[in-house]
Amino acid sequence: MTRFLLTRLFHGLTVLWVVVTLTFVLMRVTPGGPFDRERRLPPEVLANIAAKYHLDEPWLKQYARYLNGIFRGDLGPSYKYLDRGVSDIVAETFPVSALLGIFALVFALAFSFPVGICAAYYHSSWTDRWCLLIATLGISLPHFILGALLIWLFSIQLGWLQAGRWEGFTSVVLPTVTLGAAPAAYLSYLLRSTLLETLAEDFIRTARAKGLRESAVLLKHALNNSLIPTLTVLGPLFAALITGSFVVEYIFAIPGMGRFFITAVTDRDYPLIMGVTLVYTVILVCANLLVDLFYSLVDPRIKSY
Amino acid sequence: MNKIGYWGTNSCKTNRKQAQIPLIKPLRKGSIVALSFLSLFFVSSCNPFSPGGNPKAFRVNLGTEPPSLDWSLATDHVSFNVIANLMVGLTEFDKSLRPAPVIAKSWDILEGGKRIVFHLRDDVTWSDGKKVRAQDFEYSWKRLLNPKTASEYAYILFDILNAKEYHEGKIGDEALLGVQAKDDSTLEVKLKHPASYFVSITTFEVTYPQRQDIVEKFGTKWTEPGNIVTNGPFLLASWQHENEIQLSANPNFFLGKPAVEKVQMFMINEKTTALAMYEQGQLDFIDNHSIPILEKQRLSKLPGFQRVPQLRGYYYGFVIDRKPFDDVRVRKAFSMAIDRSVFPKVLHGGEQPASCWIPPGMLAHDSRIGLTHNPPEARRLLREAGYPDGKGFPPVTLGYNTDEDHKIVAEAAQGMWKRNLGVLVRLENQEWKVYLKKLQTEPPHVFRLGWGADYPDPDNFMKLFTALSGNNNTHWKNPRYDQLLELAAKEFNGKKRVKIYDEAQKILCETDLPIIPLFTTAESTVLNPRFAGLEYSPMGRLMLRHVRPSRTEDGR
Repeated sequence: MTRFLLTRLFHGLTVLWVVVTLTFVLMRVTPGGPFDRERRLPPEVLANIAAKYHLDEPWLKQYARYLNGIFRGDLGPSYKYLDRGVSDIVAETFPVSALLGIFALVFALAFSFPVGICAAYYHSSWTDRWCLLIATLGISLPHFILGALLIWLFSIQLGWLQAGRWEGFTSVVLPTVTLGAAPAAYLSYLLRSTLLETLAEDFIRTARAKGLRESAVLLKHALNNSLIPTLTVLGPLFAALITGSFVVEYIFAIPGMGRFFITAVTDRDYPLIMGVTLVYTVILVCANLLVDLFYSLVDPRIKSY
Repeated sequence: MNKIGYWGTNSCKTNRKQAQIPLIKPLRKGSIVALSFLSLFFVSSCNPFSPGGNPKAFRVNLGTEPPSLDWSLATDHVSFNVIANLMVGLTEFDKSLRPAPVIAKSWDILEGGKRIVFHLRDDVTWSDGKKVRAQDFEYSWKRLLNPKTASEYAYILFDILNAKEYHEGKIGDEALLGVQAKDDSTLEVKLKHPASYFVSITTFEVTYPQRQDIVEKFGTKWTEPGNIVTNGPFLLASWQHENEIQLSANPNFFLGKPAVEKVQMFMINEKTTALAMYEQGQLDFIDNHSIPILEKQRLSKLPGFQRVPQLRGYYYGFVIDRKPFDDVRVRKAFSMAIDRSVFPKVLHGGEQPASCWIPPGMLAHDSRIGLTHNPPEARRLLREAGYPDGKGFPPVTLGYNTDEDHKIVAEAAQGMWKRNLGVLVRLENQEWKVYLKKLQTEPPHVFRLGWGADYPDPDNFMKLFTALSGNNNTHWKNPRYDQLLELAAKEFNGKKRVKIYDEAQKILCETDLPIIPLFTTAESTVLNPRFAGLEYSPMGRLMLRHVRPSRTEDGR
């Protein structure tokens, strides 16, 4: 077990290093810099700014400086948000995205399990078709369409829920559903197809022949043996959901971290790009590790360590 | 961003951020366009003003988080819109865009304009009760110029004696700078050369006073609520980043306490969402940050709608040292082939067509200057230049940064050039920062850019195209033009200044024509009829000092 964890830790750190290095190089080869403006700055002003942020140093030195900063837990200054460091920005915005992401994940799970199970059990019936239709809609409707539709229906027409901003229950519902819809639909599909396969297996016939109740056959024997694919996607899904979504945060005016995956790049805010990429990678690596540990709980045949 | 990455396997996940970067722009654009379309029928059937809300609180949408509330470092209008309500400076511009006294009760212009002495009022206080002194201005200006501050707007004070040298690090001693507080209420400014526009610069937020003790005590955190000390109509009550800023009325503001007790400034990026919130009665004022382009016409019929012309010019520039635009006849033909009245019709934003460069509202604006729509003359000029009906015209490119509005303008221009000159111009667009870089390295033959005023003086607009200007992307130089601008800077007589600028504008827009001015922009604004007194300035500043519940509201 310890050896397994140590190996994984080593792998995780390698992945982090590769991501940091790639991001660093990509940022700098992308044309246009953080201080290119419509109003071009005089050279002496630019020189002072470059000196302040050490942008006048050779790349290798900047790279070493950045790595050194990470080890000391300092993600550097933001080039755009001048009164705050990247660590401050992440610390303020990540909890919001994480909370929304967890809500969305809970929603997705609460939706996909009943729907997936019903669809698989009543295979090829009308129930199945309805479930499939809803799931297809969930997957194919992009966030910005679904979000706009929900705002139109629930805040403009019905006036039940708030259209934007992050304050209290009425503002949480719409972004949660918007963010959770696609994973909910996808998980339903996944669960349905794996359950269908499992239900056709010999051991299910055996269970039924033994005279077990249908609910026990379905929920205990069949479901337990269909969870591996779902668990596999849950890791990356979790990482993606809790680091925030640009579109959802944009539409619903949520003060989360997801927006920076886009705006930091268009602003060429190098330290902020690095910061959010780093957070995302760390969470992804951890989530995948957790999933691997869970595998062995669900299916003892799989030995992670 | 649509996080579709999780459909993939684990191993691909780590590279996802890089792989998606090129997809980002179209995705975001697409979402905005789609939303605008949806919003067309979405908001058409609802009740605009639901009652409720405290009439003493005023709610606006800033659009985005202000990048900085430090007025030595701020560079964008979102930050300045907050700062302009927290602070006042020596002067502010009046209705005719001339500097009027605020903290400065008067100023003397001495030595032919090389020395300016500001006399300050002695009844202005900071929010912590201390007096606003001339030393606070001296400190702020020196901080702006200090190379360590690395302020992007440092150059705005380069007219001050030794300022540029100090900023470049050639002079280390800040005592040699030409700004000095003679006593608590006298500020003396020595300039390198006479500058008739210098007092106008003191309307600009970056020149507002600062408290040395506060800035040094709190470092970069001095702008946070609780730390910041201000002198304007409102106080910074709270600042939830990316979410909301709250201002409260300053009871000790020396020009009188504002009528609204509280201002809430939200940061809602998505225009459709912000508009929905206005129509639900959750916002009291919206501007271009909150109005999708397709909604502008519908909203123009709402009560409280107003279009505010902005001191912001939109132009196409020629890179004049490359064929075929090295020939002035070709440049003239391209300008005359354009019917500028088309632009307000396709953009719906109240744009004002312009063939001259100094925008309306500013001193020396003259709409008679410039080349107007004249296709037969344009064709004749092109024939003279050796391209009859566009035959033999080399392939040329018009560049702009990726944006729906710019695309509409470019396509309109492309159509008119094809129709009137027989020339097919290729359009090319890039993401903003890539575009800016390209203008320096390999510019397109014709490029799009805009220019907004920092302070309302023609000098700010005309200086753009001098030989030494870093913003002159045309490579055009004319010694006479540069000489005229120097003359105008030294001239304190308004009428004479106008005459000089007229001559300079004729060189720029009629004889040499390195640029085609197209139009000046306007801001579409809607104020909830429950309120009155909001001032939206031609420089894009949202001034809330005089906002009050409207009369009908009082009588209820």
